[in-house]
Amino acid sequence: MNWYTLLEFARGPLFKVAWLVFIGGMTYRLARVIFLAWKKDKVPSMGSKLGGVVKSYLKGGIVWPFIPWVKRTFSKNMVTYLAGGLFHLGLLVVLILGTPHMLAWKSLLGFGWPTLPLPITDWLAAVSIVAMIALLINRLVNPVMKLLTGPAEWLNWTLVFLPMVSGYLMTHHLINPYEKAFALHMLTVDFLLIWIPLSRISHFIFYFFSRTRQGIYFGKRGVNP
Amino acid sequence: MPEETIYEHLQKEGVSRRDFIKMCGMLAGVMGLGQLPPFEMGKTPTDLGAVTAKQVARALESKPRVPVIWLEFQDCAGCSEALTRSQSPTLIDLVLNVISVEYHETLTAAAGFQTEANKESVMEQYRGQYVLVVEGSIPSGENGAYCTIGGRSALDLLKEAADGAAAIIATGNCAAFGGLPKAKPNPTGAKGVWEIITDKPVLNIPGCPAIPEVFTGSVAHFVVFGALPELDSLNRPMPFYGHTIHDRCLRRPFYEAGKFAGSFDDEGAKQGWCLYKLGCKGPTTYNACAVMKWDQGLSFPVQSGHPCLGCSEPNFWDGGGFYQGQSAPLTRPEVTMVGAAAAAGAVAGAAVSSIGKAKKKTTDDAQPAQDGD
Repeated sequence: MNWYTLLEFARGPLFKVAWLVFIGGMTYRLARVIFLAWKKDKVPSMGSKLGGVVKSYLKGGIVWPFIPWVKRTFSKNMVTYLAGGLFHLGLLVVLILGTPHMLAWKSLLGFGWPTLPLPITDWLAAVSIVAMIALLINRLVNPVMKLLTGPAEWLNWTLVFLPMVSGYLMTHHLINPYEKAFALHMLTVDFLLIWIPLSRISHFIFYFFSRTRQGIYFGKRGVNP
Repeated sequence: MPEETIYEHLQKEGVSRRDFIKMCGMLAGVMGLGQLPPFEMGKTPTDLGAVTAKQVARALESKPRVPVIWLEFQDCAGCSEALTRSQSPTLIDLVLNVISVEYHETLTAAAGFQTEANKESVMEQYRGQYVLVVEGSIPSGENGAYCTIGGRSALDLLKEAADGAAAIIATGNCAAFGGLPKAKPNPTGAKGVWEIITDKPVLNIPGCPAIPEVFTGSVAHFVVFGALPELDSLNRPMPFYGHTIHDRCLRRPFYEAGKFAGSFDDEGAKQGWCLYKLGCKGPTTYNACAVMKWDQGLSFPVQSGHPCLGCSEPNFWDGGGFYQGQSAPLTRPEVTMVGAAAAAGAVAGAAVSSIGKAKKKTTDDAQPAQDGD
């Protein structure tokens, strides 16, 4: 088997299986979560539930936690906030606005969108890779993080890091031949897709559930989150 | 075929010594193509100029012409067409003088049993010396019944001719990897030569069609050195297939700068930007198009504004849509399959949740009774 056939396998049947596992796994997880909280609310609310949800997103969302004087958590966990934030930002932008990724989405969804120039996505990719390394060091050094980190977390880190670094090396032609880099990137992407429903990386969907649910509670009790 | 040397034959044809040496220089240049920059990482061109015009001249002066048997199976004769209509007369003429095509179904003037008898006598006379060139794929389904010539199957004819060949050259993607006839669902069970002939090295010169100069360069290598050139993992000659189209593409700077044509008539296309978004397969396609080009080095597909189709790679016909970006997956899950996976997930989730709830309920119901005891 040469790299080209491995690439065909990783782009073809394995990718298909990985997507199906991902979709089946995520709906399973979603069903479990939805059934968990399927109870009728009989207690009257003290405030607006919708208002609570909106506030919850505003305060827990993108900008608020990064303003140092607003939340003490920021100054206490600078690395987690900064590196974590940059990693998420870079990953999302590259994944959605990177040209090759958009073309992959286009083939899956049937429509495309304008993308960012390579130099921009390239810098963001580099920033997220550096952020991932910073997060790894933080996990190795910070005593609290050490306590919270188990085998699943190491695997999470590895399986997210590998597609990122292989994609970067591929773009810069640092692994030769190109199809080897491409095959490695696709293989790591396939493994990640299969692993997501089994792991806490599924927070990319559940984050919104927990935010909404917290917001509803806060709104119901009429308190400011 | 008389036992005269190639040079003697050329002299008879009216080629002067000066022209002969010029041609030798050209051949040496073609064979040394692998040494053109960009060099492979970490490799300096130490053996640059290893093949000299002198070496080529000496070989052509001392060696007789090489007899060639050219078989065509499931093909369009495009590779033969490309070779005969090539606009590079000196080089092609030279090689056509270097070799002596003894049998070629499309080009031969004779017909019927005479031609077949001639082929058989050539195979007998030059056993172990002739070069077998195959064009077109070989159907293996129904015992080879999908392609027969003179009442015999392609499979049979290939095995017979390969048996006495000194070297086998599969020209074009069909002969090398099955090409178009092998495209899904491959009704004839088409195969490339090297899938059938496994006891001899098969030189693959894939392309659709194969670049004529690549074919002639490889033949010239065999004539000069008496052996096939260095091959890659797919048995393609390294001097011509050592680099990708992308490696030597004239639009490469635009790729690096992230400037892509989004359609065939937008501003990017007019400016000559990279065709990656339009489905170019250049990054994974190994061939010499970007260097040798076509029609006397006039142009090649990417230069003319069309993305590379990847025609020198196995299964290129099934390798994703021609105009679909290369990063797109080869197969996507069908909507029904996605639906089935989602439904299976949802049902399993609901079932596990209700079992959990039912269990909890039984425990809750049992609890007060225990308390009451």
